[in-house]
Amino acid sequence: MLKNWIMRIFVAFGIFGVANTVQAADPVKIGFSIPKTGIFASAGPSQMNAYLLWQDLVNAKGGLDIGGKGRRKIEFVHYDDKSNPAQAAKIYEKLITNDKVDLVVAPWGTPHHFAVAPVVERHKFPLIGNTAASVALRKVKPGYLWFTSSMMPDNVAKAMTAMLKSRGVKSVAILYNLLPFASENIQFLKPALAKAGIKIYFEAKYPPDIKDMTGMLTKVKAKNPDAVLVHSYPGDSILYMNQAREVGINAKTQYVMVGPAIGFFRGMFKSNLDGIITMGSWAPTMKGVTGSNKFYTAYKKKFKGHEPDYLDTVEVYCSAQILEQAIAKVGLNREKIRNAINTMTFKTIIGDVKFNGVQNATTPTGFTQVQNGKIEVVWPKSRATAPVADKGPWAN
Amino acid sequence: MDSVISLQLIAAALITGVLYALISLGLNLIYGTMRLLNVAHGDLVMIGAYVAFMAFSLLNIGPLVSMFAAALICGFLGWLSYKCVFQRLLSASQILSRLEENSLLLFFGISVIIQNVAILIFSADRQGFEYLSAIVELGDVRLTGARLAVLIVGAIISIVAVLFLRYSIFGLAMNALIQNRDASAIVGINVDRVQMMSLVFGFGITGLAGALISMMEPITPVMGFPYTMSAFVIIILGGLGNLWGGFLAALLLGILEVFGVALTGPEWRSVLVYGIFILILILKPQGLLGLGKTAR
Repeated sequence: MLKNWIMRIFVAFGIFGVANTVQAADPVKIGFSIPKTGIFASAGPSQMNAYLLWQDLVNAKGGLDIGGKGRRKIEFVHYDDKSNPAQAAKIYEKLITNDKVDLVVAPWGTPHHFAVAPVVERHKFPLIGNTAASVALRKVKPGYLWFTSSMMPDNVAKAMTAMLKSRGVKSVAILYNLLPFASENIQFLKPALAKAGIKIYFEAKYPPDIKDMTGMLTKVKAKNPDAVLVHSYPGDSILYMNQAREVGINAKTQYVMVGPAIGFFRGMFKSNLDGIITMGSWAPTMKGVTGSNKFYTAYKKKFKGHEPDYLDTVEVYCSAQILEQAIAKVGLNREKIRNAINTMTFKTIIGDVKFNGVQNATTPTGFTQVQNGKIEVVWPKSRATAPVADKGPWAN
Repeated sequence: MDSVISLQLIAAALITGVLYALISLGLNLIYGTMRLLNVAHGDLVMIGAYVAFMAFSLLNIGPLVSMFAAALICGFLGWLSYKCVFQRLLSASQILSRLEENSLLLFFGISVIIQNVAILIFSADRQGFEYLSAIVELGDVRLTGARLAVLIVGAIISIVAVLFLRYSIFGLAMNALIQNRDASAIVGINVDRVQMMSLVFGFGITGLAGALISMMEPITPVMGFPYTMSAFVIIILGGLGNLWGGFLAALLLGILEVFGVALTGPEWRSVLVYGIFILILILKPQGLLGLGKTAR
């Protein structure tokens, strides 16, 4: 007990830059970078918690099954990338060449995946991406990088357009953060909307550090579109939620890209979130998926009753499950792991996952919606736990 | 054009400006009186936010009450850091000449400690709570209760701070110290006491601002850095150590953030804010109301 506390104090005071846990002999060292400071710092815990839960659950079983030849526990080596993609690239270089990690797992976010992709390619370290998706990166056809996410921007555009058409939406306003994933989404969404005959009444892009949206939202209100599509991240999603209510945006379809699926966000907005659609295709109540509820229960137990982020935490955990199953099949040989990822079908909390090139070819692109305080999968209909509902008046 | 001059936008600009003023006031006070560059400033915002969050989730006490507890706790931390660290540094004349550089490193260390202790206690998870979320209508202006509270409390604190610094004996002593430290000592001002109180007030006001911010932003142990940056931009723009300049710069930035974006487009926000910042510093390197190098 005392030793444990001494270790925690050392870690707290930054004496060790890396996570240290007392492990049995020969753990499997797995490295990653994570934004602990900087503009994406608030997004880091969703990813970190998934990795920590995975480590706990695997180590409780005795460790990773290494190709059927015994088990070895997981030891993480991680550093703060300060929300800087260039720093993340340096960290992966250090993890591989200096820390001599056995494997790496993904950093947070699309810009960081862009930055570390050349490093893992050069050193031939397989990296199962999460919290990221990019058509631009898919086109490069990297050999050691995959995207667990079903949210490839071109697929999101098709799914979004289909959902809007099913709701009879004829006009939209689009607001989007200038970060790469949001921008790429818009690049594909605009032609898809045009093809479907849905008019764009208003469009605005904004920097990640925007502090006020009143001017932009006043213009949206004046145009009165059927749907408002906000491609935002948690910080700007909060701005939208507060200021859309102030300005009086009352469209019956309102999409807020990242935020509503995170526990703290629901705590901040409660019933005002009802009817807001967001990115994601998972809910613990989803049928036909193995381990989904077990993951949900284990997460709440480990993190003092907090709910997981239905988007990022789920995706990160899923990517870890894929790595775990590949290792169980072929051991720690990285070339064999790469081949296993390319060819195997994996059982995960989001369902069966099989890759086609870098892309998750089996999980359909989906959307969730907050309904009576709960998150329901509403698109595609084949996976839906509830039908899409109108966004009613704001609660207060 | 109608939408650009709406009362809603004026209210939004005032809220942003008042919040900036509140965040930067403490930093300016501490720099003005002691020439300490407090890069842990944003971490005090974080502490204030956590005090409000804990008071709300454990005791069901709202931030409009717990902000006073946040101010007291942060003020105590100011007293503690003065007694433990800065009192000795400020009394040693050899160290005094390098105080700005040294304080930067010291506060950086303090910032790391505060953040890591916060992670240990609260975890790195984001926290948030719903408070005063209902919309309040004032004629044509609609604001969430939380943002209206920030506007009112922020304005009151700013006015009280101005009156205090202008008319109270202690405030006058602080002003004297800001103008000339050595002369202040010669005319009988208890420099040691005024310095300590500046740190206590500076930390306290920042903690109070943190409690207000907790109503609108997610709370995390690393939430402070953007506030440190904003506060530095404002006090440099206004003139380092010039409290009136700080208020003016905060309002200017609030207007730029809201009206600048409404007139040009949100993608121009950073260009506008930092462009004006650089332009003013080129034209007036000492800041808006800076009077050049202050005699020490």
